[in-house]
Amino acid sequence: MIVLGSTSEVAQAFVEEALNKGEKFEKIYLLTSNRETTERFARHIDVKFLQQAEVIELDLMKEIDYTRFEKISSGLLFCATGYLGEGTEEGLYDNKNTERIIDINYSKLVPVMNYFAHKFESRRSGTIIGLSSVAGDRGRQSNFIYGSAKAAFTAYLSGLRNYLFDKKVHVMTVKPGFMATKMTEGLPLNPKLTATPKQAAASIFAAYKKQKNVAYVLPIWGIIMMIIRNIPEFIFKKLKL
Amino acid sequence: MKPNFIQKVTNWGNYPIVEKEMKSDDSFRKIKEFIRDHNEVIARGNGRCYGDASLGEHIFSTKKLNKFISFDRLNGVIECESGVLLSDVLEISVPQGYFLYVTPGTKFVSVGGAIASDVHGKNHHAEGCFSEYVIEFKLMVENGEIITCSREENADKFWSAIGGMGLTGIILTAKFKLKNIESAYIRQESIKAENLDEIFRLFDESESWTYTVAWIDCLQKGKNIGRSILMRGEHAFQHELPQNLREKPLRLKKKFEPTVPFYFPGFVLNALTVKLFNLLYFNKQRKKEINNFTDYETFFYPLDAVHEWNRIYGKSGFIQYQMVIPKETGKEGMRKILETIAHSGNGSFLAVLKLFGRHNPEAYNSFPVEGYTLALDFKVNSKLKKLVDQLDQIVEEFGGRIYLTKDSMSRSSLTNYLRNTESSKFVSLQHKRILNNK
Repeated sequence: MIVLGSTSEVAQAFVEEALNKGEKFEKIYLLTSNRETTERFARHIDVKFLQQAEVIELDLMKEIDYTRFEKISSGLLFCATGYLGEGTEEGLYDNKNTERIIDINYSKLVPVMNYFAHKFESRRSGTIIGLSSVAGDRGRQSNFIYGSAKAAFTAYLSGLRNYLFDKKVHVMTVKPGFMATKMTEGLPLNPKLTATPKQAAASIFAAYKKQKNVAYVLPIWGIIMMIIRNIPEFIFKKLKL
Repeated sequence: MKPNFIQKVTNWGNYPIVEKEMKSDDSFRKIKEFIRDHNEVIARGNGRCYGDASLGEHIFSTKKLNKFISFDRLNGVIECESGVLLSDVLEISVPQGYFLYVTPGTKFVSVGGAIASDVHGKNHHAEGCFSEYVIEFKLMVENGEIITCSREENADKFWSAIGGMGLTGIILTAKFKLKNIESAYIRQESIKAENLDEIFRLFDESESWTYTVAWIDCLQKGKNIGRSILMRGEHAFQHELPQNLREKPLRLKKKFEPTVPFYFPGFVLNALTVKLFNLLYFNKQRKKEINNFTDYETFFYPLDAVHEWNRIYGKSGFIQYQMVIPKETGKEGMRKILETIAHSGNGSFLAVLKLFGRHNPEAYNSFPVEGYTLALDFKVNSKLKKLVDQLDQIVEEFGGRIYLTKDSMSRSSLTNYLRNTESSKFVSLQHKRILNNK
C-alpha cells in the first residue's frame, strides 16, 4: 500500500482499518513531509499488526526526487494529501495562501499522482483512492479557493478513472464532508454531520471493497450536496454559504 | 472560519459542565508551545473520570497521542503514548496471552489517566494499584522539557505524578508490565449475601482470590442492610475451560454493543425504578452460589457493553461518590453510610463494595488505603449536596478519604491528601476548588 499524506488521521485510520480487516501488504510506503510523526505511526503499526512500513519523504512544496519512489510497488494507493489554508475572509487576497492551497491540493499533487498512476497502468491492476472534498462540488463564498482546487482534483480523478478503466485499474473518489481531524479542529462543526477519522476509514474501506466510483463518507452528505448542486445559480449567488 | 478552541467540556458524569479551551495535538513541539503560551494548563485523557478532575482553564487532550511504541512479546512489556486506551492495549495483548495487571471498571481510560489517577481494580488487596507495574514514563514539565521518570531516574517526579491528577505535568508516553494469561476467560463464583455481616465474612474468606468485588443493594434497611452479591474470580487456565472454549482460549467473539441513543428524561431514574432494578438484579441469581466461566469483558467491564450509559442519568448528570474507610472501623462506617443512603431515599443504581489491601507508602498520592471502599452513583438533584455532606461527615468521623478521580463536591479535608503537586502552570478546576474550600 502506498499512502500519500501519511500524517492525515483519515489515512492512518484507513491503514488500521484495512489491517484490522485482514488485508495483507508486503510493505506500506508512507510518503510524508513530516518524518517524525510518520515514523511514530510506522512503529505503531509494526507493534500493533507486525506490519512493515517505510517512511519516504515527500514535500510537494519542494523539488521532488522521483528516484526515491522507483522501488515502490503496490496494488493500492491512498491519497489523503490536502491543505485547507485560510478561508475567504482571511486569505482570499493573500497570494501565498492561494498558491499553497492550489499547489498542495492540485497542481503539485497531480504530477505525483501521475507518476504512480503510470505504475498502476503498467501493472494493469490495482486501486487508486483519492480524497477530494464536498467543497469541490460547488464553489461557495466561504472557501472557494480550496473548493476550486478540490473541484479540479475531483475532475482529475474522474478523468483518470475513465482513462484507467480498460487498463484494469480502479479509481475511487472520496468526498468526506466534515471530519473531526487536525484540519478542522476548533471549528464549530455539527456533530451529526461530522465523521471521526475511524468512522470515515470504515466507510471508505467498505466503499473500496465494493469498488465504488464516488463515495461520500456519511450518506447524508450525498443528499446535502445533491441539494446544493441543484440550487439555481440566481438563488445560490445570494446565499451565505 | 477561524478556529475557536472554546468548547463545552464535561467528564463522564456530565457534571459539572464548563466552557473552556480544549486542544489536542500529536506533536511534542506543539504541546510544548501550548504549555508555554498558557497558564493553568491541565491534561485530559478520554474524559472517563467523573466530576471536575481534568477540567481546567486550558485543557490539553491527549487523545491524539494514540500510538504504540513497542511491545516485548517475550516479557510482556508494552510502551505506548499516553492517550492510548486500556482497551487498545487489551486488543493487542490478550491474543498474545497478556492482560493488564490492574484495570479499573472501564477499559476506556487512557494510559496517562490511569497513571495520573493511579487506578485500582478488583485485585487491589492482592496486586495493588496501576503504578506497581509502571516501569517509566515521559513527562512534559512546566518549562516544556521532557523528562524520563522511573524509580531510579527523577524518582521524585515519578512518585508525585502517580496519582497526581495531572498537576505535575503532561504524561506523554509510558512503559509498563503486563501479566501472563492462558485464556481470555475468568473462573467466577458469585455468592449472595443477606446482610453486611455476611458480606464482610465472605470478603475475609475470599482473601486468597485475585479478584473480589461486591454489588450492594443500597436501598435495603434494618436487618437486610448490606444485601449483596459477591463476585470473585481468577484468570482461567486453558485446561480448566469447557471444551468449546478451549480451542481458541485467547479469542473472544465480537458481541453486539448497544449505545444509549439520547439523554433519558429526568423522571426515568427515581427511587422506585432504582429499587426495582436492585430487586431484579438481586433475584436474577436464583441460587445462593454460582460457579461459571465468563469472558474478561463481562467480568471486568460489564458497563462498557452499553456505550454512553452515562446518558441514562439525564442531562443534569450524576456524581460518583467513592470513599475508603480504614479497616479497623470499616464495617461500622459502612453500616452508617448505608443507613444514611437508605434513609435519604436517594438510591444508587450502582453500589460497589471492595476491600483494599495495604497502601504503597512510596505512591503517597494514591487513593487506596487499607480498608473498605464503596463507590456509588447519584443522580444530580437539589437534595444531593445535603446527602454528600452527610456522607462526608461520616467518612471524616471514621478517618476515611474520597477518591479525587470521582470527586466533584466533597469537602476538601477528605481530598487534600495530595502532596508535592504545587505548580503555577498545571492547575485543574478541582484543585482550585479544593484549595478555595480549605
